[in-house]
Amino acid sequence: MKRRMTRGVVTRGVLLAALALAVALPLLAQAPGPDYGEFNFLGLDRRGAVWIAAQLHLLFAAFVLGVPMFAVVIEAIGMFGGDEKYDKLAKEFTRLLLVAYSATAIWGAILVFFLSTLYPRFWAYLTAIFAPSMWVYAGLFFLESFTLYLYYYGWDAWKKGAAKKVHWCLGIMLNIWGTIVMFIANGWLTYMMSPPEGLTADTAPQTVQLWSAINNATWMPINIHRLLANVVFGGAIVGAYAAYRFLTSRTDEERAHYDWMGYTGNLIAIGALIVLPFAGYWLGREIYEFSQQMGITMMGGFMSWLWIIQAFLIGILFLAGNYYLWIGMGRIPGAERFQPYIKWMLLVLVLGVIVWATPNTMIADRDEIAAMGGIRHPFLQVLGVMSAKNTAVNLMILTTFLSFLMYRRANKDPVVPWARAGTMLQGAAFALCAVVVVFYGVYGYFVTAIVRIGFSVYQVLAVLATILFVIGIDMAMLRGAKSRGEIRWGRMPDRSQYALLILAVTFTWLMGLMGFARSGIRQHWHVYEVIRDTSEQAFTPALGPAATIISICVLIFFGLVGVIFWLGGLAERSVYQEAEAEAKGAEGHAALGEPMPSPALGDVD
Amino acid sequence: MTNLKILFTVVATLAVFTFVANVIPQVQSAVPREIVLSADMPPEELAAIGEEIYAGAGGCTACHGLGTRAPDLLGVVGGVCATRVPGQSCKDYLWESLINPTAYIVEGFDPIMIDQSIVSSQAELWTLVAFLESQGGEITVNADDFAAALAADDAAAAAPPPVAVTDPSQLDGMAIIEAQQCLACHAIGGVGGQVAPPFEDLRGQDPAFIRESIVDPNATINPDYQAFAGTMSPALAQMMSPAELDALVEFLATGGVGSGAGAEAPGDAAEVPPDSAGGSR
Repeated sequence: MKRRMTRGVVTRGVLLAALALAVALPLLAQAPGPDYGEFNFLGLDRRGAVWIAAQLHLLFAAFVLGVPMFAVVIEAIGMFGGDEKYDKLAKEFTRLLLVAYSATAIWGAILVFFLSTLYPRFWAYLTAIFAPSMWVYAGLFFLESFTLYLYYYGWDAWKKGAAKKVHWCLGIMLNIWGTIVMFIANGWLTYMMSPPEGLTADTAPQTVQLWSAINNATWMPINIHRLLANVVFGGAIVGAYAAYRFLTSRTDEERAHYDWMGYTGNLIAIGALIVLPFAGYWLGREIYEFSQQMGITMMGGFMSWLWIIQAFLIGILFLAGNYYLWIGMGRIPGAERFQPYIKWMLLVLVLGVIVWATPNTMIADRDEIAAMGGIRHPFLQVLGVMSAKNTAVNLMILTTFLSFLMYRRANKDPVVPWARAGTMLQGAAFALCAVVVVFYGVYGYFVTAIVRIGFSVYQVLAVLATILFVIGIDMAMLRGAKSRGEIRWGRMPDRSQYALLILAVTFTWLMGLMGFARSGIRQHWHVYEVIRDTSEQAFTPALGPAATIISICVLIFFGLVGVIFWLGGLAERSVYQEAEAEAKGAEGHAALGEPMPSPALGDVD
Repeated sequence: MTNLKILFTVVATLAVFTFVANVIPQVQSAVPREIVLSADMPPEELAAIGEEIYAGAGGCTACHGLGTRAPDLLGVVGGVCATRVPGQSCKDYLWESLINPTAYIVEGFDPIMIDQSIVSSQAELWTLVAFLESQGGEITVNADDFAAALAADDAAAAAPPPVAVTDPSQLDGMAIIEAQQCLACHAIGGVGGQVAPPFEDLRGQDPAFIRESIVDPNATINPDYQAFAGTMSPALAQMMSPAELDALVEFLATGGVGSGAGAEAPGDAAEVPPDSAGGSR
């Protein structure tokens, strides 16, 4: 109990100190004098310090906002489906939130300290516009904190009947508070990207209307994009936690549980990732509509090579995600009949990654340009355009879905009389979808750019429609299906867990990279084309130095997350050890080869 | 041991990402420096500012130095500029080449350069001249040249801005084409440059595509003009008002039929009276 109180007091204390400073410092900052003094902390300049603090705050915040979203869904599955193992899984997810929540607040406070001391005049400018929303933010943060504590610590007390439903509603409230908190903070940062029309450097910040500042051109696209990305990120980090626990587990029962947890986390991450590009397209379109110059800077200017790196990273995500599924089929009786197809799916994925990562234009010297006959390579230019790339990525999504479908059907034999026809229908849907995707990909070479952009919508819709259609058939077809044997949870080679770790690191690094893109397209502006950044670090770094900072952030994040995982393991391990001791005294408790075990996870705090 | 393996996995993955991001081409976005020009600046300082414009905002390196579109000037031009036209000094030759680029075309190259006074002030142009003179020659730009240019720039800045036209239908598409010197590269009615697609090719095209091609000229490159990709600057779109851009897009998409005042079918472009040029900027 004392531990719980201490944690809550620390979190709230840090937040209060940060807010007090946030309000007080702008007043001091009005005094005349240079905008920026000397700053060097362990070799970091002022921008590096703010960058790292903001990135770490954002990574922890994404985790504490993403995990409750699927924790509450999994709790509902357990509550309405009557399967307690889901309820225990949801509680274990929530346990990870507690320490991560404190880390979020601490990094948020460090960010405020850095902003208010290293960029005092700009911070004064922001508080002059957003102060009321900052106080609302603090109030909601309190509500979110207490709701989280009630949600987690009340889990076992409100476990049955109506009390359970009330508990579930607490989880929903937790998500609502968290979402509003994120929306408010997004208002501040998107104002810097896309301020309302008509503002100039001479506009007094006190005259800027709060709602118009928050409800700017990129606010809602960022809100939606971040909501989805948080789910992806939360799933990936939970998968990494499960992998860590799997690799360090001492009992078969523990290994079986974390194998299942890792699979669930990965499924959530990859599932949400598939819809994320839609939100990305919307955000990109709004950026172009707000400022064509900003859009060009993002996609065709000095950041154009960033998208090659992004393709490389997403290629790794696809390959690692599929690799994990393919290895996982080794623990499913009956999956061996799908093994021959894996090499072909791997081929499609590798070719897809190669096409996606092909640059459109080359930075070349005059001899190279002369040799190529222009700034584009005579062969590679065919692959470096959107027609080829969209085709590649849609076929990769389709292939990944096929992997999932094989995994799902591995140990099941449908018994419905129309099973053969249903399977053929599914195959036909896949084939038709591939034809549509390839057709629009090829046709795209013969139409204008604006028509070609429209084709990408048809391609994505074809893939999504196929996914929904095929999964619908599959659910109906597998009703009452004959089992070829239970999944042998826990019988996974260690390399599968390293794939989960690589997935989590890649997702995290990708978030850092996209954050750099979003923030970097403002270039030398604090508020785009309104308030200039006049510090020495106003230039936007090239990808190499940016990547180094991103890697430092990710390393610190995983170092801290490792501590959180270790803390989570301390409590869990004793439970498994007790369970193992009890099992030794009883007969017939071998976990492997049996359905998913349900260790007594609900008994620990 | 397991913990070490996990640590190695995380660090190795980060190392690969960092390595890949460091070996690709590195482009940094520099802060545009606010250039303060004065008549008493020493020649070397003028040349240094000119070099900054040459390599940056001026966009000169999009063609000069590649070897295929425009002659390489660095280290050479200052030594030969005085010999190009008998009786013309080096700085006068360079000045003329900047504001009237088609006056002197080096053999083997096409007339693809536009009047630089559209994108730079007179004082900035003199800094460019000073920089080019410094490439193999002596800087002869003097305080008098510069003072006159500054005065001209000040006068232009002090002049009342033209009344902004916000209705595209009141603008003349052909006049915008001429004012923006589009015909340096594109042709219309057989008149104009040959280094970019003729405007007739755009008739009937989707206006959104035409707009994209103006705002982001490298979005779609016509394969027949691949060798000149990158020549057109995105800054051209920024030098037009939104209404002018709308009018130009409509003019090109409709072949002049749908454009407002002074609309001409592209095939009739040669008959446009000279005084119709000079749309508002």
